[in-house]
Amino acid sequence: MSRLVLFYRLIVRPLFREPLRTGLTVLAVALGVAVVLAIDLAGNAAAGSFRSSVETLMGDSDLEVTSTGGLPDGIVGTLATLPYPIRVRPRLQDFVTVEPSGQTVPLIGLDLIGEATDQIVTSVSSGYEEELKNPNDLEGVWAGSSLKVKAGSTIRLLMNDHTREYPVRGVFDDAAEGGGIVVMDIAAAQRELGREGRVDSVLLKVPDKPALGEWQKRLQAALPAGVLTRPVGSRTAENQRMLAAFRWNLRVLSYVALLVGAFLIYNTISVSVVRRRAEIGIVRALGASRNEVLGAFLGEAAFFGVIGALLGCMLGRVIATGALKLLSATVQALYVSSRPGAIELTFTSLVIALLIGIGMSVIAALSPAREAGSVSPTEAMARGQREYATRMHKGRDMLIALGLAAGGVICSVPPAIAGKPLFGYLSAILLVAASALAIPAITDGLLKFSAHTLQQFTGVEGLLAARGLSGSLRRTSVLVAALSTAIAMMTAIGIMVGSFRQTVITWMDSQLQADLYLRPAGSPAADQHPTIPNDLADQIAHLSGVAALDRFRGYDISYEGLPATLGAADFHAVQPFRKSAFLSGRAANAVYRDLLGKDAVVISEPFANKHHLKRGDSITLPMGEARVQFRIVDISFDYASEAGYVVMDRATMLRYLPDPNPSDLAVYVAPGAGLETVRAEIQKAIAGHNILIFSNRSLRMEAIRTFDRTFVITYALEAISVVVAVIGIAGALLALVVDRRREFGLLRFLGAATSQIRKLILVEAGLIGLLANLVGFFLGLALSFILIYVINKQSFGWTIQFHWPTLILVSSLTGVFLATILAGLYPAQVAIRLNPIEVIHEE
Amino acid sequence: MRNKIFAVVSLMLVVNPVAGQYRIASPGYRYEFPRDNFDHPNFQTEWWYYTGNLKAADGHEFGFELTFFREGLNRKTEKASEWSASDLYLAHLALSDISDDKFYHRERLNRAGPGIAGASAETGRIWNGNWQILWNDSSQDLQAIGDQFALQLRLESRKQPVIHGLDGVSQKSAGAGHTSHYISLTRLTVSGDIELNEKKFPVTGTAWMDHEFFTQQLGADQVGWDWLSLQFDDNTELMLFRIRRKDGSIDPFSSGTYVDAAGKSTHLAQKDFTLLPLGETWASDSSRAVYPIHWQVSVPSLEINVDVSTPLKQQELAGKAALSPSYWEGAIRIAGTRNTAPLTGVGYLEMTGYDRPVQMGQPITGQAHDSAGR
Repeated sequence: MSRLVLFYRLIVRPLFREPLRTGLTVLAVALGVAVVLAIDLAGNAAAGSFRSSVETLMGDSDLEVTSTGGLPDGIVGTLATLPYPIRVRPRLQDFVTVEPSGQTVPLIGLDLIGEATDQIVTSVSSGYEEELKNPNDLEGVWAGSSLKVKAGSTIRLLMNDHTREYPVRGVFDDAAEGGGIVVMDIAAAQRELGREGRVDSVLLKVPDKPALGEWQKRLQAALPAGVLTRPVGSRTAENQRMLAAFRWNLRVLSYVALLVGAFLIYNTISVSVVRRRAEIGIVRALGASRNEVLGAFLGEAAFFGVIGALLGCMLGRVIATGALKLLSATVQALYVSSRPGAIELTFTSLVIALLIGIGMSVIAALSPAREAGSVSPTEAMARGQREYATRMHKGRDMLIALGLAAGGVICSVPPAIAGKPLFGYLSAILLVAASALAIPAITDGLLKFSAHTLQQFTGVEGLLAARGLSGSLRRTSVLVAALSTAIAMMTAIGIMVGSFRQTVITWMDSQLQADLYLRPAGSPAADQHPTIPNDLADQIAHLSGVAALDRFRGYDISYEGLPATLGAADFHAVQPFRKSAFLSGRAANAVYRDLLGKDAVVISEPFANKHHLKRGDSITLPMGEARVQFRIVDISFDYASEAGYVVMDRATMLRYLPDPNPSDLAVYVAPGAGLETVRAEIQKAIAGHNILIFSNRSLRMEAIRTFDRTFVITYALEAISVVVAVIGIAGALLALVVDRRREFGLLRFLGAATSQIRKLILVEAGLIGLLANLVGFFLGLALSFILIYVINKQSFGWTIQFHWPTLILVSSLTGVFLATILAGLYPAQVAIRLNPIEVIHEE
Repeated sequence: MRNKIFAVVSLMLVVNPVAGQYRIASPGYRYEFPRDNFDHPNFQTEWWYYTGNLKAADGHEFGFELTFFREGLNRKTEKASEWSASDLYLAHLALSDISDDKFYHRERLNRAGPGIAGASAETGRIWNGNWQILWNDSSQDLQAIGDQFALQLRLESRKQPVIHGLDGVSQKSAGAGHTSHYISLTRLTVSGDIELNEKKFPVTGTAWMDHEFFTQQLGADQVGWDWLSLQFDDNTELMLFRIRRKDGSIDPFSSGTYVDAAGKSTHLAQKDFTLLPLGETWASDSSRAVYPIHWQVSVPSLEINVDVSTPLKQQELAGKAALSPSYWEGAIRIAGTRNTAPLTGVGYLEMTGYDRPVQMGQPITGQAHDSAGR
């Protein structure tokens, strides 16, 4: 017998006989693949865009020289006069907001005179000569073409706390940057950003020989200790490293939908095998080998895989657009100023998605296909084995399950490997596997135990439903496993996010004690610290209703290859008011006393975890031109930044970085002074500055809004897993109805009403939903512990207090339960439409 | 006479000097050394100009040019920051590899910025990035680092500074104020190293330095000039320039200076010498300019009659289109007679305005861009 004919008769024909079921299975695979691909594409696009510098304006530079708080101008002169054949390109880099569109774009200050003979400036194209015509033009800007302004017109820009019109001297092509850029001469940029005397970096082009590392050493030797020389793009690499954990966890999450899909493929192929036992027997008797039969069923799985994956690729590209929006919002809020890059559907990512889809399908089908191969001709040709031959080993499986669960618990102990909680994931996988293996025993036990109770509540249909489900235990178990996995993930993430949210709220209650908060308008991205003039802060501090003013200044720094925020707070001014919580449990005032004016810092918990630091350790930080050793006096609970904080006293910071302008202000209103009165006074003082004022309440609300926004994508991913599971249930019930048509026919023949048949099927659907909810909830609870205490802790370093998000849990579990019952509606309809006479005649 | 600063800088600038910001070069100026080796911010334009002919121990022959230009932009603005530009600093560096028939040149434009460029009497330094002259008590150290080649030379002057022109000013065209203060060191002995394509050549030879400062010295009808420095083997030197006018005639204010072996200088007016191209030309591929590279020089009063030719034809500093015009500046060889005795030597020749007219005289406004080919 030709293999093709065998494949056609045994596999393809039946598939077309049940297009709906085939379609649902394909859809489940497609969704799984789509989610994986979408997260991959969106992640790449989001991560691809954090360039440390704008690329075309970087030229062919190899090294960058930076220092915390910027390099003193003099370093540029030092570098320019070194006796090495290097090109020196100073840069000022910041972000400005284009008004009225609100788009945040990079502002690059470059030496338009010194680079006039350089490729870079000529690429800034038309109008650069304008600078040479008027070198002391302190307001002209050159705009990227995507900002759609014309040379000779003006552009309204918000920088720090002021907005004004800037004349556009020229427009250049910014297509390569994936978005608008604004360029100014370095003198103008310094003045407009209030950063006279410092540049952010100096880019260097060095000769090919000797090696880059040798140049790095030579140049470092010529520069002050606090100044850092590193390869260009280091910052991009650091950002990508910082994001690695975030992207990893997201990717793992995206595989849940795929895993659920695998359960469904397993189920589909099992059903196929059982249904076609007779046919298998015949083809075996006619000479087909075991391997041919095995291959045929694997072929069926591969068919689902190929079609599903192809569909999934298309769907994934669509979902990626939405995912990218969510992702880049999260990245911006938590990590780094980002402009999403373009989604690039590469050949590689397509091939990987296809392989994952097909591979997952084939692997899931291995066990049932092997079973098909092992069917002996005589056994299969013996009539009467139409139903499941349940060869379940409930007891053995339960034992293995216990073993796996124990393994899962053990795996939750070891630390992260290279910053990735690999053992945490393994632990989660083991627990999911354990639950899958335990499900037959649990299902069987529960169904038998509850059959009579069911009968009481739902009548004879309930009893029949329970018997029916435990009669086809394997199929039931797979459905329960698929759905419960999805539910477990939903529950686990619900609990984790809910706990996290509550922890943040509690933290904010203790941390945010000021009455009013001020910061410059513009993008609130985690790595940006626009400033407020210090004399304005002085004015506010002297207002009558102001009891104390905290001036916080943030700098974006790099510590041991990872980005972090270096901050200073005015602990002297706010000592009586500010009450932070510390890991040591010490009173805030005691900690502040250790900080005042000293070379001492407090670090945040994620920073401590990332760099394995503890109280009493020392860290060396580049501060301007110096390298300074700081003692860590304590570790603070902090949920504001995953990159982490290093905070010192303002007086200490000003010793090394003299720029007095704060980036945030916190106002403590004097007792007796009306909040609204003080607010009005401050409004008056900051008139003409573009500064935002938040009340304590509105700041918290904004923080929680940001928090919620960052988890939207997480919710979306788990929702898709649940949808996949419910689709699977619908398909499986449909198959069940078809397989049991003789039974339904008999029931009808024996006088059962159509409504009873419908009820029977809906009860079965409901039972599956209930069982899955039950297993899923406990599995989810276990997974939530792993998420909170292992995966999250190792990936991000946050301590999260466990908290029951009751409302979310109850509503989502109920929702899934109702969805499973709804999934039974159509199969029930099909069962009702069966003609009892016809069905019985088939015998 | 070196008016390249106008050729290069004013073509791209609207240098619109506010009346009264700068002094003009006036007769009777009292020169004072070493102070006058450095910058004169009261004058709008200033340059320092080093050229020389060198020979390596293995016989390899080189010519070099290192020039520093300063062009005042504004004297009235408060210097708001280190980056405020009160002057523009331009520098050119060229190496003529005569033996291997190759020519290399680089250009640099900067503001003074935080120590990036300048000319400071306090530190004895004239520099633009890592191209610099450092004055010691009796000598100067020249350093110029390029991506393909580098110069590290020590220059020792064998003669007193020469002040060109009459009564301390060199007249460039008719009318008051069309003058400059023009100083030369006409015989510098050189020793040091040239590094070219990772190979080091210990070299010796002679160099010439020009230092000139002024405010708007030239007339509007002048289109270009030819300038020569001749260093004869009998330890005398000759500097000559002729200014070409739009109508093809030679400006009567063309002039020169003769320096005898003792260092005594004699002013030469246009009628005192002839400077004639002999017909041999070299056409540049990049600028399309055609340069006369073979000249006849005679100074009847000194009985000097020499033939000037170049050992390397392509010594054009081709300007990057929009930024600067092109000019030819290169090493030359001299053969001829004084009286009847053979007279040989080396020198440098500069020819400007062959690719397009050099805009001179009054500050150029809008049409600067048109003439720059845009």
